[in-house]
Amino acid sequence: MTTTDPFAETPDFDPVSLEIQWQRLISIMDEIDFATVKTSFSTIVGESRDFACILVDQNGDSLCQSRFSPPNFCVVLPRTARRLLAVHPLETLREGDVLCTNDPWIGTGHLPDYILLTPVFHQGKPVAFMGTVAHLSDVGGHRGDIEAYDVFTEGIRIPPSKLFIEGEPNEFLFEVIGNNCRVPNLVLGDIRAIAGTHQIGIRRLRDFMDDYAMPDLVELSSVIHGRSESLMRSRIEALPDGEFEFGLDIDGYVDIVHLHATVRIQGNDIHVDYGGTSAQTRKGSINCAYNTTFASTMYPFKCSLVPQIPNNQGLFRPIHVTAPKGCILNCDDGLPVQARAKVTNNINQVLFGAVWPILGEHAQAGSGSIWPFSVHGDLEGYGSFSVSCLPHGGRGAMQGLDGMPPIAFPHNSSVTPIEIMETQAPILILHKEFRPDSAGAGRQRGGIGQRMTFRNIADSTIQGRVRPDKMFCAPPGLDGGVPGVVGEVRWNGRNIDRFPPLDLQPGDEIELLMPGGGGFGPVVERSTEHIRRDLEAGFISEAAARRDYGWDGPSEASTG
Amino acid sequence: MNDRRSLRFGFDIGGTFTDFVLIDEQSGAIRTHKTLTTPHDPALAVLQGWQELVSAADAPHVESAIHGTTLFTNALIERKGARTAFLTTKGFRDILEMGKEMRYDIYDLLLVLPEPLVPRRLRLEVEERLNGRGEVVTPLCAPEVEQLAEVLADEGVEAVAICFLHAFTNPEHEQAAGACLAERLPGLPISMSHEVAPEIREYERMSTTVCNAYVQPLAETYLRQMEVRLRDAGFARELFLMLSSGGVSTLETAVKFPIRLVESGPAAGALAAVFYGELLDEPDLVSFDMGGTTAKMCLIKDGRPAMSDNFEIARVHRFKRGSGLPVRVPTIELIEIGAGGGSIARKDELGLLKVGPDSAGADPGPACYGLGGDQPTVTDADLLLGYLNPEFFLGGRMTLDRSASERAIAGLAAEMNLSALDTAHGIFQVVNENMISATRVHVAERGADPRRLKLMAIGGAGPVHAYEIARALRMRGFVCPASAGVTSALGFLTAPSAFEFARTHIARLEPSGLAELDRIYDELAAEGRQVLRKAGIAEEDMVFTREADLRHVGQGHEIVVSLPWDRLADTSLEEQLRPHFFDRYTEIYGHAHTHLDLEITTCRLNASGPKPDIALPEAEPGSDPAAALKGSRPVYFAETRSYVDTPVYDRYLLGRGTSVEGPAIVEERESTAVIGPRGLGEIDRYANLVVTLRD
Repeated sequence: MTTTDPFAETPDFDPVSLEIQWQRLISIMDEIDFATVKTSFSTIVGESRDFACILVDQNGDSLCQSRFSPPNFCVVLPRTARRLLAVHPLETLREGDVLCTNDPWIGTGHLPDYILLTPVFHQGKPVAFMGTVAHLSDVGGHRGDIEAYDVFTEGIRIPPSKLFIEGEPNEFLFEVIGNNCRVPNLVLGDIRAIAGTHQIGIRRLRDFMDDYAMPDLVELSSVIHGRSESLMRSRIEALPDGEFEFGLDIDGYVDIVHLHATVRIQGNDIHVDYGGTSAQTRKGSINCAYNTTFASTMYPFKCSLVPQIPNNQGLFRPIHVTAPKGCILNCDDGLPVQARAKVTNNINQVLFGAVWPILGEHAQAGSGSIWPFSVHGDLEGYGSFSVSCLPHGGRGAMQGLDGMPPIAFPHNSSVTPIEIMETQAPILILHKEFRPDSAGAGRQRGGIGQRMTFRNIADSTIQGRVRPDKMFCAPPGLDGGVPGVVGEVRWNGRNIDRFPPLDLQPGDEIELLMPGGGGFGPVVERSTEHIRRDLEAGFISEAAARRDYGWDGPSEASTG
Repeated sequence: MNDRRSLRFGFDIGGTFTDFVLIDEQSGAIRTHKTLTTPHDPALAVLQGWQELVSAADAPHVESAIHGTTLFTNALIERKGARTAFLTTKGFRDILEMGKEMRYDIYDLLLVLPEPLVPRRLRLEVEERLNGRGEVVTPLCAPEVEQLAEVLADEGVEAVAICFLHAFTNPEHEQAAGACLAERLPGLPISMSHEVAPEIREYERMSTTVCNAYVQPLAETYLRQMEVRLRDAGFARELFLMLSSGGVSTLETAVKFPIRLVESGPAAGALAAVFYGELLDEPDLVSFDMGGTTAKMCLIKDGRPAMSDNFEIARVHRFKRGSGLPVRVPTIELIEIGAGGGSIARKDELGLLKVGPDSAGADPGPACYGLGGDQPTVTDADLLLGYLNPEFFLGGRMTLDRSASERAIAGLAAEMNLSALDTAHGIFQVVNENMISATRVHVAERGADPRRLKLMAIGGAGPVHAYEIARALRMRGFVCPASAGVTSALGFLTAPSAFEFARTHIARLEPSGLAELDRIYDELAAEGRQVLRKAGIAEEDMVFTREADLRHVGQGHEIVVSLPWDRLADTSLEEQLRPHFFDRYTEIYGHAHTHLDLEITTCRLNASGPKPDIALPEAEPGSDPAAALKGSRPVYFAETRSYVDTPVYDRYLLGRGTSVEGPAIVEERESTAVIGPRGLGEIDRYANLVVTLRD
C-alpha cells in the first residue's frame, strides 16, 4: 500500500487506551447532558434542548461534548473560555468557583446564551473545565427580539464573573440576574441546575483521572487534538485545490442582506473569507459577532468531511475564517445581535452553494430554517408564563435524498409538545401540519414545510414573539433544483412582515407558514413514481405537479 | 404422587425457536424444552411443546402458564402489522410524521427517519378540540366520525388508532368516537390513547397508540388461538402474558394492549436477576446479559428493576437513541449496546481500535467458529487470552479453531501496528469499556452507587467479561447463577402477577389537595383489585404500592417517587412528603431546590399478587476444590499484564461451600467464568458462583 499515513507527524499513542479514555470522557458529558434535561426548569432547556455540555481542557480547548449537543456551542466555547480566563486567571481560581458570562462578543453571539464554566480541581490543581452553554428564558431588555437599535436594549450583559465563589453562590450576581428578567424562577432555576450538573461531572472526571493515575489532561488532550487535526487535514488534502465563490441574498429583517463567501482550498487548509457581505445594520438584531460566524462556518465541513469523529478543537484548526470588520458577519461591539441566527442559519447554505460540486452526496440545498415563537404574560391560573416553541421548515434536498419534512437544521433542538404549551400558557394551537406545495422541485424534492397557527384564549392581552425566516428570499436549490417556497406570517388573516413584540388581543390568531426546502438536481430527472407518491401523500397538488414537473398522469392519482 | 404439587409452565416464542420451561414449585425441579417456531401459526409450536414437555400426569397440576413473545416486536420491526388508520384532532395528523423535529445524529447529513406506520392518506382528522385543561372547545363532530367509518371500511383498514389532543385529561371525545366506530365497524380493533398511554406529550402518545393498533389484529388472532389450543391440550387454568414492565397480564388485557408486551423477553432476564438477588440476599445489583450481538444491563435496586416509560421500537439504527418510534408504556429499563461475543473489531479512521456494533452474529460467527468468518471478534480475543477453552465450547459441542482466531487478529494487529497480544487484549478492553461506560451512566441516572452493587452475569459471554467490568466499576463482585441456560425462562415463572395503573393529574402539592390524590389512588386501587380478582388472587394476598411523578414547580421533567403512606391526607406535606421528594431528588442529581413548591403530574399504582414461592434445588456439599480441578492453562490478566498459569475448574463438580482463589477459570456448558487475581469465588447453597473482589 502506498497511501500516506495522515498521522505520520503526530506523537505516538496507544490506540486502545486512547479509544477507551476518549469514550469515557464523552460518556461523562452525556451523563451531565442528561441531568441538565432532567433538572431544568424552562421548556427551552428541558424540551427544546437548546444547550450544550462541553469538556474544556486546562488551556481552554474543547476536548469533547455530549452526543446531543448543538455543534456551534462546542466550537465557540473554547474562545469564550480563553476570555474568561483572561479576566479570572487560572491561578486565581479556587475549588467551587463557577465562572459565567453572557456577553455576545465573548460567548455565542446573543445575550440569552449563558455560559457557565466550572474549573475541575484534581490533586489541588485546576486540570479542566466543565462547560455548559444554555439558552435561558429571559434576559430582560425590550420585549421584542428582532428590532433594537443596540445590544443595550436587548437585555442585561453579564461580564466575565464568578457566579459561585468557593462553592457559595454570589448572591449579588444572582440578584442582578434575577432582578433583570421577567421569569427569575426559570432563569435562576436553570442556572442552579446547570451548576449542579457540573458537580456531577467533576466527580466523574476525578474518578476517571484516578483510574488512569493521570495528574492532568495535558497529554491526553494533545493526542486527541493532534489525531483529529491530522485526520481533518488529510480529508482536506483529498479535495481538489481551488477557489469557490458564492453569493446568496437572505432575509435581513427590514432590508435584504447579501452573504458572500470565497472558499479557498489549498493543500490541507481551508480559508473562508466573507468579503462582499453586507455591512452590519441597526435595522434588525441580526448582526453576528465573529464567534458565531466562525462556529457556523465549521459545521458543514465537519459534517461532510469527518462526520463520525467526536467534536473537539483539533478538527477545526485547519479551517480559517475571516470576515471584514463591521460587516454583518463580524459586527462591532454594541450592535444589536439578539436574532443573529437568522443570518448564521444561512451560512451553511452559502458554503454549500460554493463548494457543492466537490462534496458529492454531502452537499445540501437550502432549508426552511427555524421559526421560533413564544408567548409571555402573567395571568391568574397560569402565573407568570413564558413558553417557547421551535418549529422548522422543510430541509433541503441532497444529491441522493429528498429533503426531510420539518426538522432542525443546522442546529438541533426538539419541538415543544402542543400539550405542554397549552397546559402552561393560555393559547390554543389550531393546527400543526404539512404545508402542501411548499417544497422546491427537483430530481430530489426539497422537504415539505409546515403550517402552524396559535390563538390567544386568555381574556386579556398576552404577548407573542415570532421570528420567521425566508419570507423574502427562498431556500436555494442546487444543481438545477428549484428553491423552496417562501414563508408567510398572518395576524388574524393579514400578512405581516415586521416582528416587534406582538400584543395579542383575546382571540387573536397568528398563522405561521413555514418554507419548504430547496430541491436538488434538474426537475426533469424526477421519476414518475416519486411524483405519483408525492401526489398520493398530498405533498404536492395536482396543479403543482402539472406546473412544476410537467405531470400528465390521470387526475385520480391525487387523494391526499 | 403428591397432590399438593403445583407446576408452572412458561413459554417464549422467538423468531426462530420457541422455548419452554416447566418448574415444580415445591422441589424446584426445572425442565426445559425447545421447538422450532411455526410462524404461520405460532400456537402450533406451543401445542407441540406442551405435549412433549408436560406429561398427562403433570397436566392437571399446572397451576399457571405464562407466555412472552417477540412476535409483536418483530411485526413492528419488519413492518408486518395490520393496515392501520390513525384518527386525530383536525389539524394534527402530520405530527405522527414530524415527531419532535429533532435529528438523532447531528453530524450525519444523510440520516434517515423511521417511516410512520400509517401513511398520510390513512391519517384522518375529526373536528373536535379540548383545551389544556381538558375543557371542550369544539364538540366532537359525530357525523364526521360516521363518515370516516365508511372511509375506513372502503380502505380495508384492519385496525384504527385514536389519539385526540388532551385526551389524557378528558377522554370523552375519544370514547365517543371509539363507540361510534365500534358500532359501525364491529370487530375492528380500536386503540384509544387515553387507555393505551394516558400521559401528556402528544407525539409520544400518538406513536404508542398507533404501534398498539398496528399489532392488535395479530395479537387478537394469535392469543385467542393460543388459549383455545392450550385448553384443548388439557390446560384448564388462565393464561397469563408477560409484560415489558415485568408484570403479567390477563389475556383480555394483552389483546387490548399488545404494545405492553413488546419487551417481555429482555424483561424476563431482569426478573431472573431479581429472583437470584432475593435468593442471595443482594437486593441491589446490575444484571448483565452478554450474548452474541448485544449486551444488556439493568439496575436492580431494592429488589426492583429500573423502570422507564420511554422506550423506542424499530430503530433505524439499532443503537442510536432517537432513531426509532417512541413507545410510552412501563418498561423495565434495559440498556442495550452493540457489544457481544460476535462484535467485530476494526481500526477506525483515526487509527483507534473500535469494537462493534457490527457483529458477525452466529453465522458466520467469530473466526474461531470455522464457519467462514475471517473478521476478528470479541470471542476470538477471548479465546487467545485464554478465557475460553477451544475443546469445551458449549460444553464440548463445538470446537473452536484457535489458529483461525490467530489469523484474524494478526491481520488487525498488522494494520494497527500492535502485537497480536496487545490487539487481543485491546479488543477485550475496548468492548469492556463500551459496557462499562453504558453501565456507569445507567446506574448514575438512577441514583445508585456502583460500589455497593454486584454484577449478575448471564448470557454466553457475560461471565467471561464480568470480572473486568466489576473491577472497573469498583463493584463488590459478581455472581454467575446456577443453570445459566434457563435464567431467562426462570424470570417468566418467578414474577408475581402484577399490574400497573397510571393517571395523569397535574397539580401543585398542597395540603388541601392531598385528599384528592387519595381519591385517585383509591380509584386506581379499585381497578387493580378487580383485575387481580379476575386473575384468581385472594383479597389478602393483594399488594398495592403507590408512586407519583413529582417535580419542582416549573420543571419540565419528573422523577418517580414511591409513596410509602396509606393515606396522603394523613401525612404532613412539610415534614414528610417534601423531604421525601428532596431526598430522592438529591440522591439522583446531587442537589434539590428546597425553596420551591412541588408539583405532581402522574399518580401510579402497582397492584400485585403474591410472589410464587419457588424453591431451587440445593447443591451437594463439597469442600475441596481440587476435586473439580480439570487442569490449567495460561490466561492473560490486565492486572498482571502477562499470561498466568491458571487452574481450570469444572463448575458441576464444585460443591456447596467450596471456594476458589483467583486467578481461576470455572467452566460450564453455557459459559466460562473468569476470576481474576483479586477474585474469590464461592459456591453457595443453590450452586451459584459468587465472586467477591478483594482489596
